[in-house]
Amino acid sequence: MTDWTEVLRDWRVGLGGLLLLVLMGVALAAPWLAPHDPNAQDLLWVLLPPSWAPGGDPAYLLGTDTLGRDVLSRLIWATRSAAYVAVLSTIGAAVLGITLALIAGYAGGVLDWIIMRAVELLLSFPAVVFALVLIAALGPGLENVIIAVIAVDWTRFARVLRSEVRQIKGRDYVAAARLMGATPLQVVLQDVLPNIMPSILMLVSLEMGGAVVAETIISFVSASAEADVPTWGVIIADGLSDIYATPAPVIAAVSSIVVFVLATILFSDGLRRRTDPRQIERRGAAA
Amino acid sequence: MAELGLIGGAKGRAGGLRRNGGARTLKRLARRFATSIVTLLAITLLVFVVLRTLPADPVAMLMPGNATEADMERVRALLGLDRSVLAQYAIWLGDALKGDFGRSIQHNTPVRVLIADALPVTLQIVTLSVGLGIFLGFSGGLLAFTWRGTPVEAGIEMGNGLAMAVPDFLWGIILILAVGVGLQWLPFIGLQSPSVTVPDITGFVLIDALLAGDPSAFLDVLRHLALPVFAIAMGLAPTVMRVFRSGLMEAYTEDYIASARLRGQSERQVLLRHGLKNAVIPTITLIGVQASMLFGGTLLIETIFGLPGIGAMMVTAIGGHDLPAIQALTFCYAVLVLATTIAVDVICLALDPRLRIKDQS
Repeated sequence: MTDWTEVLRDWRVGLGGLLLLVLMGVALAAPWLAPHDPNAQDLLWVLLPPSWAPGGDPAYLLGTDTLGRDVLSRLIWATRSAAYVAVLSTIGAAVLGITLALIAGYAGGVLDWIIMRAVELLLSFPAVVFALVLIAALGPGLENVIIAVIAVDWTRFARVLRSEVRQIKGRDYVAAARLMGATPLQVVLQDVLPNIMPSILMLVSLEMGGAVVAETIISFVSASAEADVPTWGVIIADGLSDIYATPAPVIAAVSSIVVFVLATILFSDGLRRRTDPRQIERRGAAA
Repeated sequence: MAELGLIGGAKGRAGGLRRNGGARTLKRLARRFATSIVTLLAITLLVFVVLRTLPADPVAMLMPGNATEADMERVRALLGLDRSVLAQYAIWLGDALKGDFGRSIQHNTPVRVLIADALPVTLQIVTLSVGLGIFLGFSGGLLAFTWRGTPVEAGIEMGNGLAMAVPDFLWGIILILAVGVGLQWLPFIGLQSPSVTVPDITGFVLIDALLAGDPSAFLDVLRHLALPVFAIAMGLAPTVMRVFRSGLMEAYTEDYIASARLRGQSERQVLLRHGLKNAVIPTITLIGVQASMLFGGTLLIETIFGLPGIGAMMVTAIGGHDLPAIQALTFCYAVLVLATTIAVDVICLALDPRLRIKDQS
């Protein structure tokens, strides 16, 4: 079983978790943190540089864009969009993927075959393309982005977890539980699920980063959201056309995405190092 | 169809190499090929159904805003859209097998012609990117391996971890910011400078420039491709490095390394003859696994850098709800990904005798 206090002491888990908490905090507190309305246009003050640069205005810390909108406020509200998509699509993809992995891995047979063919089908094809096709059919909107990400990314959970479920199913304690008359549902909930928990957390963390990247891609190429919802992808797309005037919005949005993804990678990497038996063994042998 | 020819040829070669188990290997490849065809059909059907049954109405998108309901019905019947989705798919598939993917709604040109123009651009980008990505990954991996246990390794590891957090399209934007706008070293829009013209011989601009004997045009195109290629390569290199390095470490725990050392081979010879060979195979497998991500990456990179490949074509088609183009392009992507995975399989079978033995169990 996993020793969770040991896991939390890992610096990767700590730093990754802290960064994720900060980003989530920014997302939740966006209405109070943002100094301006993210969509308020001030055509007298367009393309202002950041406040520390010559010509900057302290009221606009990161400057303004072509329409005179405050870059910092847009960035903060975009964090909210990103967190919204990351959390909901990760929950959706995880629930769908875990359920199907448990069914495929534990029940086996025809169900396993069907589920795994579906996984293979979606993996043999660029995820971006399928997500964009779904968006083309569903229309814009953050909710549709979430649906598209779930439809594509549940496969990540299903593929990894299904093989773990199969391994656990062969263990003695599962056989013992079944001999004692536990129903399949009881075995899955009491013996299988706790044992795949570390992997689930790892995948959830990675998926949050993946979902943010997917949202950025979709909003970059095809207005994922309604026009008045700022997202990092929209900030980059808008910013690229004024890149010579002020690179600040693009730099800020790119940095935000990298920090978010880095946090999820750190978190899951630390988790893997602390919970993967092979890794722990290797460290034990080295000491 | 070029891809199919390539697979057939490679398959024949791989089969010819086998002394024992050749028939089995051939059978395995044939089965792989058959499943790929089924996958291809399933993907096109899936996309077809998604595009036809979800809320957006293709006819409404086609028609001007003041079209009457009767007009819509007529167009629907004309396009066969009043029949069942499966019947429509059968018609599409029948035409597609004859090489007819319909006409693009946006351009009113056969989709096949548009793809034939765009595909070489994408293939050039992907080929160069894979080459550069493998080169960067191998160099990093070799450096980290030779300096294992030193700060150099730790430094490379950290850089690798950071690079992994940046998806390829963000590399594109970072490169535009740093190299294109900041340093102004390289162009970042389009495939060539407006003043440069390259005759259309093979469709592959780089090759055409060479065939036309125009080194300055070749260089110009290369300069335009440098940033997008580097961006995709940077998306690939960190993973390549990780797999290559762990492949090296794994190979060095095997007995054949110790025995090569005992036979008096220098460390350099051990690395070149035994270490590298065994670390290369998992890396090639990785390219197969990453194939769909790789081709997916071109979508954004082509859009960002204004390159007229199938990725940019896909983005425009989606923006304009150009259903025939979307449908044909998804087919095209699926063929590319499946062909790459099969090619990777063939290369691995040819390189690694252990795989051919394992086959028999």
